[in-house]
Amino acid sequence: MIPEITELSLPALICGIVALYSCIRIVLEKNTLRKLPFLNVLTFSVTGIIVLICPTPLGTAAACAYFIGSTLESNAIASTWAKRAEKDKKDAADGTEAGIADGEAAQ
Amino acid sequence: MLTEITQIIIAFAVSFIIYATIDVLAGLPREGGVCGARAIGEAVEESGGDLHGGYMLGNIVCSPDASAGTLLAACGVYLFGLTGGLIAAVFVYIGNRICSDKGYAGTAGAIVATFVIWGLANAGIIAPQSFIAGMVLAILVIQGISHKYASILLGKLWRLRA
Repeated sequence: MIPEITELSLPALICGIVALYSCIRIVLEKNTLRKLPFLNVLTFSVTGIIVLICPTPLGTAAACAYFIGSTLESNAIASTWAKRAEKDKKDAADGTEAGIADGEAAQ
Repeated sequence: MLTEITQIIIAFAVSFIIYATIDVLAGLPREGGVCGARAIGEAVEESGGDLHGGYMLGNIVCSPDASAGTLLAACGVYLFGLTGGLIAAVFVYIGNRICSDKGYAGTAGAIVATFVIWGLANAGIIAPQSFIAGMVLAILVIQGISHKYASILLGKLWRLRA
């Protein structure tokens, strides 16, 4: 059975609109690293919605766990992406140097 | 009590001042705490923003800082008053340690925000749930509208402090 929404509080409505807006921005942003701040805004609003909809001790614990967990995920994504980009750059530099060396050897 | 919209607008201003001040004082814009935060700072600089402002955006994403502290303190005070806010500060500290951060900015932000929110709620000026909406709007202004201008603003604040 779906519970009826009798009263929509203004703070929950604001959090909902902000969450929707940040989702749209995440989809529209091309650069993966620049998506992450928008994802952070989404996390903030969802944490707010969890507490406002479920104002119980378990609700707060869930909100804190969700917030900390998603921050950790963002941290992991950003670190992995940064390390991969560094490795790609290094490989590309090595490849170019190797290419030049091969070219010189051939001459 | 003021009307709900007025409360949310004042809560937005108060939470923005709390977290911007504590983050800048704690030196978040100085450098990226982890390599992910540095990469985000550099990506924001590439898009025409300020490097130090970008580092602060990266640090906010990669570890719970004073903004997270303010939000979780508002949630804690909304449910359990002063004790709830202090429990939220412990959660923020644990989150900081998980994300390999020292945790000064987040914990200090949560404790300061707890006392401010509790004081304003007890004085009957702003309800704690307005602070939840206010903090969401405050983080939207910094992280969710334009990274370029937000990082330039944060860079200016950092140079004022440095």
